Order: sequence, then C-alpha cells, then structure tokens
Amino acid sequence: MRRNRTGSIAITVAVTAALALTGCTSKNNNTQPAASGSNASASGAADAGAKKKIAFVPKLQGIPYFEAMNAGGQEAAKVLPIEWLYQGPTQADAAAQAQIVRSYIQQKVDTLIVAPNDPNSMAPVLQQAKDAGIKVLTSDTDAPDSVRQAFVSQASTEGIGTALTDQLAKAMGEKGKYAIVSCGETAANLNGWIAVQKTVTAAKYPNMQIVDIVYAGEDQNKATQMATDLMNAHPDLTGLVGECTSSAPGVAQAVKDAGKIGKVFTVGLGTPMAMAPYLKDGSSSASVLWDVKNLGYLTAWAGLQVAEGKSFKADNNVSAAMPDIKYDAATKTLLLGPPLIITKDNVGQYNY
Amino acid sequence: MTTTNATTIPPATPSSGRTRGGVARGLLPPAVTGQEWVLIGVLAILWVVLSLTTPAFASSGSIQPLLSAVAPIALMGVGMTMIIITGGIDISVAGVLMVTGVTSAKMLVDHDASLLVAVLVSVALGGLLGLVNGLLIAYGRVHAIIITFGTANLFQFVGRQIFASKTVNGIPSTLDVFGRGEAGRTLGVPHSFVLMAVVVAIAWWYLRHVQHGRHLFAIGGDPVAARLAGVNVERRVLMTYVLTGLLVGMAAVFIVASGTSTLDQSIGSGRELAVIAAVVIGGTSITGGRGSVLGTVFGALLVQTVASGVTQLGWPSELSDLFVGVAIAIAVGADLIRKWARERA
Repeated sequence: MRRNRTGSIAITVAVTAALALTGCTSKNNNTQPAASGSNASASGAADAGAKKKIAFVPKLQGIPYFEAMNAGGQEAAKVLPIEWLYQGPTQADAAAQAQIVRSYIQQKVDTLIVAPNDPNSMAPVLQQAKDAGIKVLTSDTDAPDSVRQAFVSQASTEGIGTALTDQLAKAMGEKGKYAIVSCGETAANLNGWIAVQKTVTAAKYPNMQIVDIVYAGEDQNKATQMATDLMNAHPDLTGLVGECTSSAPGVAQAVKDAGKIGKVFTVGLGTPMAMAPYLKDGSSSASVLWDVKNLGYLTAWAGLQVAEGKSFKADNNVSAAMPDIKYDAATKTLLLGPPLIITKDNVGQYNY
Repeated sequence: MTTTNATTIPPATPSSGRTRGGVARGLLPPAVTGQEWVLIGVLAILWVVLSLTTPAFASSGSIQPLLSAVAPIALMGVGMTMIIITGGIDISVAGVLMVTGVTSAKMLVDHDASLLVAVLVSVALGGLLGLVNGLLIAYGRVHAIIITFGTANLFQFVGRQIFASKTVNGIPSTLDVFGRGEAGRTLGVPHSFVLMAVVVAIAWWYLRHVQHGRHLFAIGGDPVAARLAGVNVERRVLMTYVLTGLLVGMAAVFIVASGTSTLDQSIGSGRELAVIAAVVIGGTSITGGRGSVLGTVFGALLVQTVASGVTQLGWPSELSDLFVGVAIAIAVGADLIRKWARERA
C-alpha cells in the first residue's frame, strides 16, 4: 500500500508537470516545443530546399483505410522534399481530433491537412492554424465552411453516389426497395453521397426506392444488427448499402447470417481485404472505393505545393501514376479521379 | 423490512465457506424483485406493441439476432452486477474486450487455433486482466473508478499494439458455433444466449443462497461492518473483478463470432457503458449493497429491444439513445426513492 501511494504521488507529479508544461507552451512560446517550432521555420526561411513539414490528421488512427493513406504519404516523402507527419485520434471523436490539430499548430508545421470528424467544430481550430501562419488543407472529408485553402477529394461526391447507386441497381435488377446503413450522422462526405444516391435513384431508377437511412457509428456489430432490423422491418427489402468501411462488411454479414444471399443485395464503401470474403460468397455485389494509397500520395503532394506557396493548375502532373489530376478552382477541389469499382474479380489486387 | 434486497450479514464461520442455504429463509429477498417485475412488464408491453406495429418483430429472424446481441452484454453484466453490488465499478471492460478479442482473432487467423484454444486463451487472458484490476482495487485502496479508468487506457493501448494499426482480416468460421448464423443455434436458440443463461442461473443462486455471495451485499452496504463481521473483504472484491475479466473474455469470443470476418478497433468501444446501463436499468444500486443478475439480463434485453424497435419502426436512430437515457434516469430515480424510503422507515 505504501508503494502504491508513492506510485500515485509520482503519477500526480508527472501529470501536473505535463499539464503545466503544455499550459505554458500555449500561452507563451518560450518552452521547448515552441523552440523546436521556431527552429524549423527559421531553417525553412534560411534555405528553401529544407524539408517541409506536412502533417495529416485522419478521422481516426489504426483503421486500414487511413493507414493506407498514411502509406501513400510516406511513399511521397521518399520522393518529395517533405517530412510526413501522421497522427489521429484513437476514436472518431471531434474533440480528440481537435486536440491533435492544436498540438500540430504548436509544433508550427508548414502545412496542416485534416479529415475532420465534424467540419463545423473543426472550422475554428483551422482558423487558429491559419492565424499561426500554417497552410491549411482538408483531405478525404471536407470542411467547406472553413479557411482551408483547398480540398483533396478522393472522388467527386457525384461520382461516389452515382457509382454506389448504379452498382446496387445492377445487382437488384433496377427495381425494389433498399436501405442505407450509414455511420457518423454528421460526416459531411457520407451525407453528401447519400444526397446524391437519393437524387440518382429518383431520377434514373424510378422502380427503386430508399426506405430508410440509419446510423451505426463506426461500430461493425451495430451496423450488422441494424441491417438485420432493416430486413425485418421491410420484408420486401432487396438491397442494402453500407456507407462506410465498417458498415460495408456489416450489412453483407447480416445478409449472410439471415441466409438471404441472392435475395438481398449489398454494395458499400469497403476496403478490399475486408470485403474479399463477402464479394466471393455473393453477400456483397460490389465495393465502391478509390485508390487510397494514391489519395495519401496526392494529399502529401498538395501539402507541399501550398507550403511552397504555389497554386494548383487546372491539370496537374503529380506522379507517374497520377499524370493528370484535375483542380476545380470554383470549389477549390483537387480530384483524385473516378471511383474504383471492386468486385470479386479484382479484389485480390489490393493489399489493404 | 420493506426493502427488496436487504443487506444481511450472515455470521461468517471460517469452515463453512460454501454452505448452501446458509442464509435464514426469512432474510432472503424475493426471488424476483419489484423492479424486475416492472421490467418484465415493460418488456412484455414493448414486445406486444412491436409485434403489432412492425411486420416481423416477433419472427425468429428478428428474435434470434436480438438474443445473440444481448448475450455478450448480459454475460459481462453478470460480473459487473457483482462488482457494483460490492460498491465498485469496472470501466475497463472495453479495454479487456479489445485485448482478448484481437488476441483470439489473431490466433484464429495466424495460428489456425481451434475453437477450444481460442475460447480458453480469451477467457484466461480476460481473467488475468481482471486480476490486475482486482489486485489494485482490493489492496490498493484507491477507488475502482480511478483504477479501472487507468487500466482501461492501459489495456486499450495494449490492444492497439496487438492490432498494430491493421485490422485482422479473414477470420475463419471456427467460432460460428457462437455466431449469428444457422451454425450458432440449436432448436432455434442461439448458443451464446444459452451459455449466458446458464451463467446467470449460477450467479443468481450464488448471490442468493451462498454465503460468499451474500458477503458481496454486506461489503457494498458497509465494508467496515462487513470486515468486523469476519468477511474477507479483499478476497471477495478481488474475486468479482477476476470473474468479470473471465466473463469479458468469453463475451469477446461472442462478439468476434457475431462480427464480420474483419475485426477492427471498434470491438470494445462503448461496450462498458452498454454493460453498466444494463446493470443500472436492471435495478442494481450504483451505490452498492443491492442488486440482482436477473435484473441485468432484463436490462440488457430492454436496451437491445429499444435499439431494434427504433430501427424496425423506421424512427431516427438517435431516438434509441434518448430512450435508453430515460430508462437509466428512471432506474436511478427509483433507486434513490427506495433508499430515501428506507432511511425514513
């Protein structure tokens, strides 16, 4: 017990010290992190050839999607004069994400790129970054009402929404009722795709109908259970869409468990490795995605461009794999390209 | 004696630790308490209403997945009920789930482990993490919420290290016997639910008729008095955390079995709150000294019924959070009123 008390005192002291230190750095820029920051900017000013610090904050860390983006960014760091920094929250939580963004602001990185969990609450934090002289971009998910200089888009909202609807329509024979299992209720990209799915379904497939849209968070088991409940709520349901990488395999699993392969068809935004078994057994008809690694590379490249004060051209030659990346000046969007359709035939080509 | 689960301290005779029926009959709470009858009533009403208002709520295709979803929560709830009865709490459940879940999933994928090995490893590992919690809480004399808050972060860190920033892909069908599919049921009843029911039955008997079980109520009511009455408080408290760890290890197997063929870091997220919600709605007093595992099962059933019901009715998803929140508020309110009534009496 005595040892325990000593231990807890030590922890308390350490925590207090840490708090005091971080408190200091945010108020006056005399302590260590700020010193390293000014160091970096000084050397950056001294010789333009120095590596630019490009920081990317994903929605959450440790899921294969963002890890694949990170791999693309690291690849870019081998070719381009950049230092690639990558850190995200361990849960898709807006507050935790904002904290990481603030720490990068304190470190005075050259470019800060965020895939915001909640665009609205992220906007003021991005303003702080801009005020600190940091270039700001968004990637993967946009924060359109923020000070971000440009958005690196994986595929146009129209492209994804249309591809999802087309693939599902093909599987369902262009008729019948379907439902959507989405994830975060405030995620701008998911909601954007859903809006397009509604429009395309109404315009192009008059015999198809969206009966419900539910939100499972980033929880696979919950997505599976909700898909099951949807099939029970609508016995004549013949289609399900898994709107994110956790619900895409979830809806397929629900169809498989219910013994409804061939009766209920699913499509989703799933990563290849997670979708492979479902694409093979037919519980998933197709997965709509994009080359995530290339998106990471493009993100890092865009970070370097803005750090060097360059503006994007209408057509950009990024790398051998991405010779013609379009930039739309009106929406300030850099577009990776058309979406990638993953089926049982090509799923084996991807290792994430 | 107006209370339902009065804390009675039977004389602790050292030689008769496992005496059955060592408690005088008159001192026992009723087999099914008042709050449990209320929950049974609410569940019955909900099920009838949902059967009438939705096309398939009462069908096997709806009930079976519901029972599969309830099983892991109720199973963890058994341990959590005992912990909360002693006046403690364990918020490290999500972390234990992550470590045991990812370890067993990796053993299945990388080492082609058999069902038995996967279950044993998961349960044993869960017990070990429970032992860490139990030792710190029983002998460290720091409040359980602080200790398990610390270990929750620690366990989640360990879990993420094992994940190594990747998902576990291609989990084989080894665990299907506890899954949501056809292989996971006998005579239409999910195996995971049956196993949970057996554990609940044993725990119900233990808490009601075994002296050591009654000691837990005594500790929650007044640990000093319990100690003076000869109860080995540290050992009993330690046992509840170890048991919870073992049950969480088993629940992890259920969750992996009923998940997709890919396991990601979301395996534990929010599960500790789901378990605590089930326990509190089930009528266990969050301040300790009173509670029952039967109520916890009904609490878990209520939470999942609400979630499924909201989806099947086509209502907005966030309403299920609202309803569960209201249920918790009512349950805690009822507990406070009972306590107030007891103190006035």
